[in-house]
Amino acid sequence: MTDAQPSAPPPHISIRALTFDYGGKRPAVDALSFDIAKGEFIGLLGPSGCGKSTTLRLFAGLMAPTSGQISIGGQDIVSRPPWERNLGLVFQSYALFPHMTVTQNVAFGLKLRKIGKEETAARVAEALRAVRLDGFGHRRPSELSGGQQQRVAIARAIVIEPEILLLDEPLSNLDARLRDEMRFEIRDIQNRTGITTLFVTHDQQEALTMCDRIAVMNAGRLEQIGTPTEVFDRAATPFVANFIGRANTLRSTLDRNGPSLLCDGQPLPAPPASELPASGSDVSVMVRPHAIRLRPAGSGGVAATVARRVFVGNMIEVELTLTGGQTVAVELQPNDPAVPLAIPGAAVDLDWSRDDMRIFAA
Amino acid sequence: MARLISLLARAYVMAVFAFIFIPLLIIVVISFSADSYLSFPPSDWSLKWYGEVLSNEGFMQGLKNSAIIAAIVALLSLGFGLPAAYALERLDFPGRTLIRNLILAPLILPAMMLGLGILMVFTPAGLVATYPGLVLAHLVMTLPFSVRILQTTLSNLGADVEEAAMTLGARPLQTFLRITLPRLMPGVVASSAIAAILSFDEIVLSLFIVGPRLTTLPVAIYRYVDERTDPMVAVLAVLLIAISLAIVLVVERSVGFAKAFGR
Ligand SMILES: Nc1ncnc2c1ncn2[C@@H]1O[C@H](COP(=O)(O)OP(=O)(O)OP(=O)(O)O)[C@@H](O)[C@H]1O
Ligand SMILES: [Mg+2]
Repeated sequence: MTDAQPSAPPPHISIRALTFDYGGKRPAVDALSFDIAKGEFIGLLGPSGCGKSTTLRLFAGLMAPTSGQISIGGQDIVSRPPWERNLGLVFQSYALFPHMTVTQNVAFGLKLRKIGKEETAARVAEALRAVRLDGFGHRRPSELSGGQQQRVAIARAIVIEPEILLLDEPLSNLDARLRDEMRFEIRDIQNRTGITTLFVTHDQQEALTMCDRIAVMNAGRLEQIGTPTEVFDRAATPFVANFIGRANTLRSTLDRNGPSLLCDGQPLPAPPASELPASGSDVSVMVRPHAIRLRPAGSGGVAATVARRVFVGNMIEVELTLTGGQTVAVELQPNDPAVPLAIPGAAVDLDWSRDDMRIFAA
Repeated sequence: MARLISLLARAYVMAVFAFIFIPLLIIVVISFSADSYLSFPPSDWSLKWYGEVLSNEGFMQGLKNSAIIAAIVALLSLGFGLPAAYALERLDFPGRTLIRNLILAPLILPAMMLGLGILMVFTPAGLVATYPGLVLAHLVMTLPFSVRILQTTLSNLGADVEEAAMTLGARPLQTFLRITLPRLMPGVVASSAIAAILSFDEIVLSLFIVGPRLTTLPVAIYRYVDERTDPMVAVLAVLLIAISLAIVLVVERSVGFAKAFGR
């Protein structure tokens, strides 16, 4: 959206006003528009029920959009049936063929493509190796654990070397170690093959670590699309700021002369004029807990009282109350010199850089 | 108190079983009678009534007719029922819900009314007392069952596995043959068997459209019982039960087998 380079190549995939309505209160996918470049690894991130799976189903042609377009390589594919789209889709439910062995499952797409016996065997073996399932070929899906089934589904989708790979929470059922391994493996396969990939997840960590760009969805709408740094540091909406990482929300008043911000009567760091919302004086100021510094009371900043302090392993979480009653969370490294200040009941001053602050119309 | 309730419950279950099975038992016993009238217990034992049935031209012809009709009905019921169930379960078209409900209508309508209607249509069409006529009449009864059973099986299977096949490049027919049908086998066997049993036991509709040229075993038995009561009736009852039971057993074995194989 905002990061369109002047000499950008034509997008591989282009979605325009994509809408799907199940007939509920509002469309499950609501006027989605964005472009994906060839070979890009895009994360589709959003809370449960925000329309991620529905979007993938529209891509795969399993449902026809209520309105809007999906074009691949400049051609509108909305009227093309699923079997002519050459996509690899990993279902959230795995959807393995229960009456076939693992090998037969993975070989299914190759058989339909009339690939020779030997090549099929080789490619199936390679795909199973990639998902760490060599030696499981003769089993039936019912004889596998959930995580193993999930990996068969991945192997079945990648083995056909599709033009686009659609992954619907493909790692949700794996333990932490295997998940890390599979993240790496999926990224590695994608780098090697250059398959344009749409990766659905509701795990922000996964999206931030794996994806070239992240499309954040909420209630069927696209909130923001951008690189992990962009969506994390320069959240476009309060939803994005809250959904990706933690954020403090401070209800404040904006004075456009200056400009300056007041939160419960206390001045906040001065906002850059370019970052102000278009209109209104009631705003939400968002600051990440790790961006806030604690200083001794009276050294200048926003006055606050420490309410609680919790040690959570790699950092210390401090909860503070502002004079007007709003609460603020701050994360401190254990070696931060401000740690001794964080004693429940103590008065402190809070401070942060104006670049770490996002301002939204309330 | 709890023991008393448990005892009463057990007695109740026994009573129900007795109510169902004692008449059956009595029939089986009488079928081996040597008497020439129905009496219990029989004064002497023999297999003569079995011999009578097996050498009775009318019954044997009826048995043959019923078996042929049941087999054809089972086949057609599947042949028409499967596409209908598939369409009702997997495809979206206007009026789907209406058809879903209408297709069950023959189960609700009194068989007498259906029989009368069928007779009125079949007489001018020359279908009375013919194989096609009887098969068609039985299909009216069996199709709703077949469609319903197959529809339930399909809906339990869920569509995502078929969708996965399609995204891998399988056209609808390929998907149906290689993915849907193998997983549908239990439903296919069950619905065919039920169609066969329903057709084999069907009497009300048959009564309307059999004739001297073509009659079914249940109708032949019905006519015989109307005139006389001797142990031959018991033998016929035992035969009917045995045939239905055989079909059920075959189904049980093969569906169990298919399930172990497919799921
Ligand atoms: N078959 C359906 N009929 C009606 N509404 C549906 C159907 N499937 C999904 N929805 C609704 O559409 C919305 C989007 O569903 P979708 O499955 O796309 O969500 P999702 O983002 O994939 O969620 P999750 O992370 O839980 O998988 C939800 O509100 C859901 O209730
Ligand atoms: Mg989903």
